[in-house]
Amino acid sequence: MTRASRFLVRTGAMAAKETVHVRRDPRTVWLALGMPVLLLVLFGYGVSMDVERVPLAIVDDDRTAESRELARAFTAGHEFVEVADVDVSQVEPLFRRNEALAALVVPRRYAERLARGESGRAQLLVDGGDAATAVRILGKADAIARATSLDLARRTLGPARPPLEARVWTRYNPTERSAIFLVPGLAAYLLAIGAVMLTALTVAGEWERGSMEQLFASPVGRLEIVLGKLLPYLALGFVQLLLVLAVGTAIFDVPVRGSVLLVFVLGGTFLVGMLGQGLLISVVTRNQLVATQAATLSSLLPSVLLSGMIFPIENMPWALRAMSYVIPARYLVHALRGILLKGNGLATLWPDLVGLAAFAAVALALATARFRRRVA
Amino acid sequence: MSRRWRVQLTAVVRKEVLQTVRDKRIVFMLVAAPLIQTLLFGAAVDLDVDDVPTVVVDGDRTTASRELVRRVLADGTLSRAGTAPSAADAERMLDEGRAAAAIVVPPRLSADLEAGRAARVQILVDGTDPNRSSVAAAAASRFFGEEAQRMSRERAARSGAVPPRIEVVPRVLYNASLETSPYLVPGIMAMLLVVVTTIVTAMGLAREREVGTLEQVLVTPIERRWLLVGKMVPFLVIGAFDVLLVLSVGSWVFAVPLHGSFVALAAGTVVYLLCTLAVGLLISTMSTTQQQSFLGGFLFALPAILLSGIMTPIHSMPRWLQLVTYANPLRYYAELVRSVLLKGAGVVDVAFQLGALAVFAAAIVTAAALRFGKTLG
Repeated sequence: MTRASRFLVRTGAMAAKETVHVRRDPRTVWLALGMPVLLLVLFGYGVSMDVERVPLAIVDDDRTAESRELARAFTAGHEFVEVADVDVSQVEPLFRRNEALAALVVPRRYAERLARGESGRAQLLVDGGDAATAVRILGKADAIARATSLDLARRTLGPARPPLEARVWTRYNPTERSAIFLVPGLAAYLLAIGAVMLTALTVAGEWERGSMEQLFASPVGRLEIVLGKLLPYLALGFVQLLLVLAVGTAIFDVPVRGSVLLVFVLGGTFLVGMLGQGLLISVVTRNQLVATQAATLSSLLPSVLLSGMIFPIENMPWALRAMSYVIPARYLVHALRGILLKGNGLATLWPDLVGLAAFAAVALALATARFRRRVA
Repeated sequence: MSRRWRVQLTAVVRKEVLQTVRDKRIVFMLVAAPLIQTLLFGAAVDLDVDDVPTVVVDGDRTTASRELVRRVLADGTLSRAGTAPSAADAERMLDEGRAAAAIVVPPRLSADLEAGRAARVQILVDGTDPNRSSVAAAAASRFFGEEAQRMSRERAARSGAVPPRIEVVPRVLYNASLETSPYLVPGIMAMLLVVVTTIVTAMGLAREREVGTLEQVLVTPIERRWLLVGKMVPFLVIGAFDVLLVLSVGSWVFAVPLHGSFVALAAGTVVYLLCTLAVGLLISTMSTTQQQSFLGGFLFALPAILLSGIMTPIHSMPRWLQLVTYANPLRYYAELVRSVLLKGAGVVDVAFQLGALAVFAAAIVTAAALRFGKTLG
């Protein structure tokens, strides 16, 4: 047998052994494949930052046709839902009990002022606790007030076109659905969970049980152990990626405007990096409980926080922005959004591929190097 | 009789504490990790939208159009990232990610405005990030809407008729400067507690089962319920300590206030920790290896976090999913913590949340105790 074929046989044997381990524990396989689907569905439906059905309390001190009309203008759309018609002193207790997030206060003599040609003034109290939602509520309230003014002007002065108009066109995601934004990001996160956690746990498990030493006593080499351990999880990662893409396009209408091949090339490079990181963690910790926490801190949290998946990187302080460059999820999230939503090709996305490849090379090199020192 | 249970309980607690403290890395992850994560999270989560890179296409090239563009960009939500000769070029810049919005001023804008013809400006936004695109679009349309209103009032005033106008004046309560971190830090704390307490208890018990020490403990005269309680007590203390630590650092670094009742906060925290610890025990009774109990813990923690309203508001979820959130203890704790800290709520205001948490704690602890007895017997 030549050296190359011996290498292949041994790596294949390691991979077969690892596959048997995985198959012997069907619960883990189901969890690894079921979790992405469950999370994707929950994320897709549950994570939306749209201003919808905001519980609104109405304080109508005027009780005229005009004041009622203003209140109706707020509750007519899907943004606000009237939850209470109360006195102004009741507003804060409602806020404290989380029963209302905003309150429209129409003062006395509102209709009278309008009839006299003065501007009709109402007040919107907003629970500012959740700043992002409060900003959106303020924006919506502003738009509603403007539309109602325009409506009123049209009725009293006759129809007139506004002298200046701004037409907004939203590209790539015209309905502004959060799911389309989140699914590519979530793909990176789910791949990271699977790859880092499962490798960290299985390899740490072999140290804990002592079977790693048995492997060292066999003629299988260091690189062969590493590759054999990683191959089954690489395959599992590809299945996860396929599953996430399928569910994303089928349920949430995530478009695939670019090349699917490119998705898998980038996804594969990302997976190799994550597997390398998982291996490195397990070699260093040799303990499953510690390995999971190390993986959570070094990979799962940054993949959510510093990847731009939900929170924009450009808003972060410079230290975190700098840190985000060593988080591979950052490159994958950016690249997946480019490929899926914008139809970008490698001409635009090559820096992401370079970043992912560099991380994968460094992680694998470090893991293999640490591995050797432990054996000696 | 009463002495015996006290001896048994202290013995179990002592064993758990020794076992936990022995490994410095576990102590680190129980105490320092939540702190690091709070700092990281608190600094990273900022959903404010400003400085959206905007490309300007000025087809008019007059003083009036330049002035208009300057004023759209004046409030800082949109900031100029370059100019392009045509709308098609602007679209290409959006494709390549060099800009996230474009303002396209048509040729003859100022001529149209002066002649009283309707003029139309185009705003293109990159909708990849709906949060950013909706704020950017709202800022642009608010500016042009106000501009249009001003112009039509001027025109109407010239012809003698004053159009009626409605103004809605906003007032923001509790967080007038609209900072993100005072709201998110308490939520993050609730989230970290799940990860620390649930996963650590789940894996700890599974590890004892794997190593075989659980059977050794069971042959001692210690009763099962004291074993169960003894396993929870140390982590209850650690969890409570984490809450104090995170809140003090939060108030120091991120100006998280404590406006409401400390009693309500303390009561809520203890009941909530009972829930998360018992979930961890329950998961460990259902799994045979650490890997399984970790994945099980994750499978509980992630949906619980998503459906808690910590990251995104519950009222934007579809109706059926909103109903599911009522079965999530994390939801009640997140509401309780935020109401108490930010809005000055007292025990009475959060009585519903406290009650719900107590019901969950009782139910989950009972379930865990029953399963624990069965799987061991």
